[in-house]
Amino acid sequence: MGIIKPFGDDSGSVGIGGLTIENGLDRVVLYGGLEITRDRAGLGLARELAELLNAAVAVLSADPSLPDHVAAEAANSALVRNPFIRPAS
Amino acid sequence: MWACARILSASTAFLPLTACRVGSARRRRPCRRSCRRKFAVLPSFLIAGLLCAAASASPGVSECPDHFVDGVPPKLENSALSVQARDLCFAGFAVEHSGQSRTPLWSAEHLTRGAVEAARSLPRRGSFHAEATLPSEEAANLADYRHSGGYDRGHLSPSSDMATPAAQQESFTLANVVPQSSGLNRNLWEWIERSVRNWVVRAGELYVVTGPVFRGMNLQALNGRVLVPTLIFKAVYDPGSRRASAYLVNNADDTGYKLISVEQLAALSGIDVFPSLPSDMKSAVTPLPAPSRRFPRVGGFAQEHVSTRWWFRLLHALTGE
Repeated sequence: MGIIKPFGDDSGSVGIGGLTIENGLDRVVLYGGLEITRDRAGLGLARELAELLNAAVAVLSADPSLPDHVAAEAANSALVRNPFIRPAS
Repeated sequence: MWACARILSASTAFLPLTACRVGSARRRRPCRRSCRRKFAVLPSFLIAGLLCAAASASPGVSECPDHFVDGVPPKLENSALSVQARDLCFAGFAVEHSGQSRTPLWSAEHLTRGAVEAARSLPRRGSFHAEATLPSEEAANLADYRHSGGYDRGHLSPSSDMATPAAQQESFTLANVVPQSSGLNRNLWEWIERSVRNWVVRAGELYVVTGPVFRGMNLQALNGRVLVPTLIFKAVYDPGSRRASAYLVNNADDTGYKLISVEQLAALSGIDVFPSLPSDMKSAVTPLPAPSRRFPRVGGFAQEHVSTRWWFRLLHALTGE
């Protein structure tokens, strides 16, 4: 496929059949559904998916300092005042 | 006039110049060009504003009226929404963006059968990007969405609705994106988007306005900058059957939704999404297709062309909607 490089950026997104793939620096997310039919179209989709997963495996296995688990993600959010509260009329 | 008024409501005088200068010619509107002219000549912000408003008081100021019912864009009824609000035209949709929330307030599309069929044959391919035509302090960037704690970058006008690769790439602008619960984005919301596309193919054309609702005294802000909506709506107008209603969902990992009228949506969100429709149409809650979980078929369309209307009504009755 060669369209996204797994873990290479946090902007790229592609589809494989009904599957959505979102690239990220710390995770690659796949969601949706994919039917791999026993025909040439199915073979094409299977190859695309295999290529993506092989590329992800290559990146992960080449990282000498790969942790067992990434640290639990601390949410990068804060509570702020809602600026859209309707002004009293 | 509306675009000028909102640009002028921005807090500093240089912002309108920025807004007028940046972006492709296609994205600029006559109003913005007249803003720039007046600002260049007149030092007084106030006088410039009055002239600008007068110069653009003609109806239909939008440069992309095709995205709107009768060419009329959604109207912000809550004045607090108008602060730092800017409208942007794209090939497949238009948005009104808020520099306060750093999200769109609404994103509008006019979907046709031909466009949806073209979109279905287009593989998903795009990259999220900050909107370069916005002042950077008003725009979300990729870093804002990192470590979001369970929020996806949720398209308002979906990439799967876009008929060309260029339009699809434009849909990945963060000016068309809100922080959306991952569980919602990957399930119910996708089903709603799919059911709307299926409906377009049956009906021939639909107008769709999608947007966030920000409720409560306080809100979560990703990176302290991008406000997380509490609710998300998708309003649909079918010009064929002359009916309109909206799906309303919690911005949460949830599979429940409500159908509400355009009027109820305006009361909730402060936005009249279809200002040109008559009030009786706005006050009615009409049935909308049930969210479709069905997978799209490879190389073809998700077919729902049989006896659809009563089938949807039955489903709604069964689900209590």
